[in-house]
Amino acid sequence: MATSAKALDALAAVCGDVRPGEPEEGVLGVEPALVAAPSSVDEAAGVMRVAAALGLAVVPRGGETRLDWGAPPARCDLLVDTRRLDALLEHTSGDLVVSAQAGMPMERLAEVLAERGQRLALDVPLPGSTVGGTIATAAAGPLRTLYGTPRNLVIGLTIVRADGQVARSGGKVVKNVAGYDLGRLFCGSFGTLGLIVEATFRLHPVPAARAWVTRDVDGPKQAYEAVQAVLHSPVAASAVEYIGPGKVAVLLEGVPDGLSLRARTTAGLLGGDAEIGGDPPAGWGRYPDGTTLIDVTAPPTALPDLLATAGTAVTWNGDGHGHVGLPAGSPPDVAVRLLGALRDVLGAHRGGAVVRYAPEDVREAVDAWGPVPALALMRRVKDQFDPDHRLSPGRFVGGIR
Amino acid sequence: MRMLSELEDGEGMDSVLRTLARDLDVLLGGDRVITDPVRLRTYECDGLTNHRATPGIVVLPDSAEQVAGVVRECVRAGVPYVARGSGTGLSGGALPRTDGVLIVTSRMRRILEIDIPNQRAVVEPGVINLDVTRAVRADGYYFAPDPSSQQICSVGGNVAENSGGAHCLKYGFTAHHVLACEVVTPDGEIVELAADGPGYDLLGVFVGAEGTLGITTKITVRLTRVPQTVQTLLAAFESIEAGGRAVSAIIGAGVVPAAIEMMDALSIEAAEAAVNCAYPPGAGAVLIVELDGPEPEVAAQFADVERLCRDAGAFEIRIAADDAERALIWKGRKSAFAAVGRISPAYIVQDGVIPRTALPQVLARIDALSAESGVRVANVFHAGDGNLHPLVLFDDAEPGAAERAEEVSGAILDLCIEHGGSITGEHGVGVDKARYMPRMFTEADLDTMQMVRCGFDPGGLCNPGKVFPTPRLCGEVPGVRKGPHPFEGKADLF
Amino acid sequence: MSGHDDLPKLLGDCVHCGFCLPTCPTYVLWGEEMDSPRGRIHLMQQHAEGAPMSAPMVKHFDACLGCMACVTACPSGVQYDRLIEMTRAQVEDEHPRPLRDRAVREAIFRLFPYRRRLRALRGPLRAYQRTGLDRLVRRTGVLERVSPSLAAMERLAPPLGRAPRLPERVAARGERRATVAMLTGCVQGEFFPEVNAATARVLALEGCDVLIPKGQGCCGALSVHSGRAEEGRAFARRTIEAFESADVVVVNAAGCGSAMKEYRTLLADDPSWARRAGAVSGKTRDLAEFLLELGPRAARRPLPVTVAYHDACHLSHAQGVRAQPRALLSGIPELTVREVADPDICCGSAGTYNVLNPGTAAELGDRKAGNVAATGAELLVAANPGCTMQIATALRRRGTPIAVAHTAEVLDASLRGLGPDALLGRAW
Ligand SMILES: Cc1cc2nc3c(=O)[nH]c(=O)nc-3n(C[C@H](O)[C@H](O)[C@H](O)COP(=O)(O)OP(=O)(O)OC[C@H]3O[C@@H](n4cnc5c(N)ncnc54)[C@H](O)[C@@H]3O)c2cc1C
Ligand code: SF4
Ligand code: SF4
Repeated sequence: MATSAKALDALAAVCGDVRPGEPEEGVLGVEPALVAAPSSVDEAAGVMRVAAALGLAVVPRGGETRLDWGAPPARCDLLVDTRRLDALLEHTSGDLVVSAQAGMPMERLAEVLAERGQRLALDVPLPGSTVGGTIATAAAGPLRTLYGTPRNLVIGLTIVRADGQVARSGGKVVKNVAGYDLGRLFCGSFGTLGLIVEATFRLHPVPAARAWVTRDVDGPKQAYEAVQAVLHSPVAASAVEYIGPGKVAVLLEGVPDGLSLRARTTAGLLGGDAEIGGDPPAGWGRYPDGTTLIDVTAPPTALPDLLATAGTAVTWNGDGHGHVGLPAGSPPDVAVRLLGALRDVLGAHRGGAVVRYAPEDVREAVDAWGPVPALALMRRVKDQFDPDHRLSPGRFVGGIR
Repeated sequence: MRMLSELEDGEGMDSVLRTLARDLDVLLGGDRVITDPVRLRTYECDGLTNHRATPGIVVLPDSAEQVAGVVRECVRAGVPYVARGSGTGLSGGALPRTDGVLIVTSRMRRILEIDIPNQRAVVEPGVINLDVTRAVRADGYYFAPDPSSQQICSVGGNVAENSGGAHCLKYGFTAHHVLACEVVTPDGEIVELAADGPGYDLLGVFVGAEGTLGITTKITVRLTRVPQTVQTLLAAFESIEAGGRAVSAIIGAGVVPAAIEMMDALSIEAAEAAVNCAYPPGAGAVLIVELDGPEPEVAAQFADVERLCRDAGAFEIRIAADDAERALIWKGRKSAFAAVGRISPAYIVQDGVIPRTALPQVLARIDALSAESGVRVANVFHAGDGNLHPLVLFDDAEPGAAERAEEVSGAILDLCIEHGGSITGEHGVGVDKARYMPRMFTEADLDTMQMVRCGFDPGGLCNPGKVFPTPRLCGEVPGVRKGPHPFEGKADLF
Repeated sequence: MSGHDDLPKLLGDCVHCGFCLPTCPTYVLWGEEMDSPRGRIHLMQQHAEGAPMSAPMVKHFDACLGCMACVTACPSGVQYDRLIEMTRAQVEDEHPRPLRDRAVREAIFRLFPYRRRLRALRGPLRAYQRTGLDRLVRRTGVLERVSPSLAAMERLAPPLGRAPRLPERVAARGERRATVAMLTGCVQGEFFPEVNAATARVLALEGCDVLIPKGQGCCGALSVHSGRAEEGRAFARRTIEAFESADVVVVNAAGCGSAMKEYRTLLADDPSWARRAGAVSGKTRDLAEFLLELGPRAARRPLPVTVAYHDACHLSHAQGVRAQPRALLSGIPELTVREVADPDICCGSAGTYNVLNPGTAAELGDRKAGNVAATGAELLVAANPGCTMQIATALRRRGTPIAVAHTAEVLDASLRGLGPDALLGRAW
């Protein structure tokens, strides 16, 4: 442990909060030797520089809501905790833009923005997520139908590279095509390319009124027809969701005057005994129950096949993305078969399935990522950002290091 | 009438290019390789004519396999190559290399698939932007990115430039409407990059990379439902400041218009001269505001917008009663660039972005710049997102005028940077603005961006010299490493 | 044309934006810069800067159909029509053509502009068609081997009926509202005489005294648009003489109408003719344009027929006449007008183009025919004899023949209450 003590000292020299890791802080069981919690970009850069000098493998940690996603790291010498990097940097409401540090919890950001009647149009499926973690995992919820995922809303990003250099891309204006958009590249990169420290988002006004129109559906065909009716209509839904078992729910947002008429139109489109309400239906914006979570890419026409294959613990969004849950205690071979079946049916629709989290036995039995079309290219990009393979090694597709 | 192989004409070419031309001719066959100098010269520039270079060879492939074959031949010969769509770019992104190959996609223009149930279409890169919309309009859909050049620019070019238009305020840019791209990588492989697949979002960085990361040969685009209704108004103000107040008020009220466009007095004058758009006389600025969406929603917000314009001092407001009147309102705005030619022999179209709230200060500074230098500047802009298009006017017959205009144009970019904006909102960096990149980004920023470049194109043959002022040395080429990585198995330092 | 001094300025108007590309028929076909308006202007610039008029250059200029779609599309007001005219003249001056090309070109310019010569051709052609020899020749492709250009001319010849002679004056029906002079045109006059007859009747029924000056010859359109400016000017002077005494000159062939409207520029440098040319240009009207200005008076009888209206380039792009013919057609009770997809793209007829570049012309004809057939219309209406021949031939080639008519004939049928069979019954 002599090296470790030396590393601790070196880190302490650049960062105010450094300590040895605790066993319960393991990332999917891989215990970090050290934990550093920088409180500024400078400190974060210092930490990363030291890590580079000492060859430490680094795993970033935000709100710990998705630390169990993906594969366990091959090594974890240093956990970089971003939760002290939680400042709101700038909210220029007139420009509908906000900049925040990576460790800021999404809910807190939402509160601040709401004071000025604005919001970041991203749902937070897991309470406690941070800004940085949301970007790193490309997390989104029902609103993705209209607003997309973090890649559509991040307009500027500051990262600390593996070598400790601070780099920025984008900026604080919505319209900007100067240089490569590293913001989009970092969305969903699971901490393998660099440490996200600051992000700038474009914002939207909080709608004056909202309504949910829901309908119980009986079977894949009805679900499909209800969804198609709304997708191809001009009601301009903010979200179209299927919530298993058997509910199609549509979120409408806008001015109060217009909303009731749009809601009635939508109810008509959904058919059956659609109901209009002011509150989200049960399960709205949550992942399906279970201890295994499978993320599926399933364009609208794949919905019937998805439902026929996946059973009841399914949620799906009109933009062609969904989740499937498997209950605790499911034997690994059940998971393997389900995953295989999903990949078969979804593959025909140019979709796919990826395991986000699973109990260890399942995780070890399945091919979590499935086929990755441009893997060789991804490895080359990773090699550039992380030539020494120290950033969340092994956590990501193809065991990329 | 088609010309056959014209290799005999390739006199004076250097031997590497001549051999390459022969190889390409064998590979592609037919009339797909151009080496005649007169023909080659017609490809010497894109929409930005002050940068010119006659390409060494032009090829007109008509499939992804052919593109991949050409790229592989270029790599083998160590010759740089540049992709070109319709050649309307305004930053010299498609500026050819005299020592290289220009790969033109204008014959790859098939719409391969229209999939309405999934709200998407698959097109070849040479398909014209507006043709996508034309193909799906009857189904109630359209392709949302609407650069003013949409009648001719290619979807491949849109992908490369991450193009947007007046309506991207609400609907976003090309990046938000492309679901997947088939790409010929700089090593000649054909790969599929998808927005929603496992692994890195390489598509996210490919879109907007200005053709420096590979050539897209097939694009899956998202189709957008045609809104139920569209309402457009034209408001005339005495001054730009008053117009700016209206914009702030509209945004502040929580309205997200489909578009908010502003023109100043000088650009109005030009538009009148060109297309008789009959905007209200005496206007110091006109504002075009368009709302679209579900009828009840638009109706309610439109009333607010009208009121806010009046409160901000609009002295005349016109509301388009039908499509014809809407077209009339837009006519002046859409013709503005070309129209400036009527009031000035030459001009530079600048493209910069500022935070919208900085609009009054920046416009005042531009006015001052113009007054100091005696160079006239007409302003047209996407006011909703702070994207300015100052048109810097000069007389190319007057000695030194071009240089002075260039100076003012550059100073405007400095203003944008100073106010936390960007040196380009839609036209891209290309060759034209590469030298401004260090003013906006640090060395580390640029170096980091180029790490992506090195990952994709370690050999640096794919559209070199664009976007970045100085290339990054990619060092050893990590991608081609065979066998276990040197660090493999040495995980634990402790 | 005010000399070549303008050339640099005219070239300088082009800002290289490319907006003209999608409407250029050769760009649509081949997707090459050199065969687009922007590319051709670039070639002209190269030539202006000293590059020799090389064979490749000439090829791309020759491939231009002169359809003027690019003029309509250009936001910067580039006068491509004038540029290509000057360039064609330079080509004729500076570029020696191979003997066979020269012979074909000469043959055309010796034939088309001269009614008497065309008339002489009618007899043999009619006999040839009646004997069924035409089908035999077509099947064997013998002509194709001898000369594709001659083969093209043969394919395009319309079925010929009796050519009625028009009197020098047709009196107005009812109270006279105007006196107009009518140009009969060479090809129109000889191959489509019924169109001229219908035009005269419609004008008379609408209350016009129609004068048909005897001394009229070719208007010069074909020559001017092919770089034979001198020849064109000679034709123009004759035509001016024949028509300058009229109040209004009504023209039913799009190509001729646009040429007459251009006399003003054609003769601008000729001091003794400039004013007279301007005057004639100023009073030239396309038939549809004139009828709409005049306003309808005669009763329209129902004509239950679905028509596809084709925009002749020299009407839509050169004269900006698009709405008027549609308005006239829509004014006929029970008649439905269908729009043809890609209306801006030339059908490939383009004056003598389909004779000089038969391959390209046929490709464009096929595209147009496909779009016309897709409308499901029963009758194709166009206001230019070249277009009519071209598209009808292409439709026949693809096995979907369709009846064709000139706008004047449709109006005539309605005003006279002839019913749809008068138009649809005509085989083509
Ligand atoms: C009058 C005018 C108005 C304009 N208005 C707008 C506007 O409102 N908004 C806007 O965003 N832009 C605008 N532009 C700029 C331009 O039209 C856009 O950038 C357009 O997307 C370029 O498309 P293109 O097909 O002409 O591409 P090109 O100019 O041919 O190429 C542009 C870049 O794309 C690369 N490229 C082309 N094809 C491919 C491919 N298949 N794969 C990879 N790279 C490729 C080229 O290498 C080059 O770097 C305007 C231009 C003009 C002339
Ligand atoms: S006249 Fe017609 S063919 Fe010639 S360049 Fe213009 S559009 Fe093309
Ligand atoms: S549209 Fe006009 S300005 Fe633009 S390239 Fe064509 S001719 Fe030139």
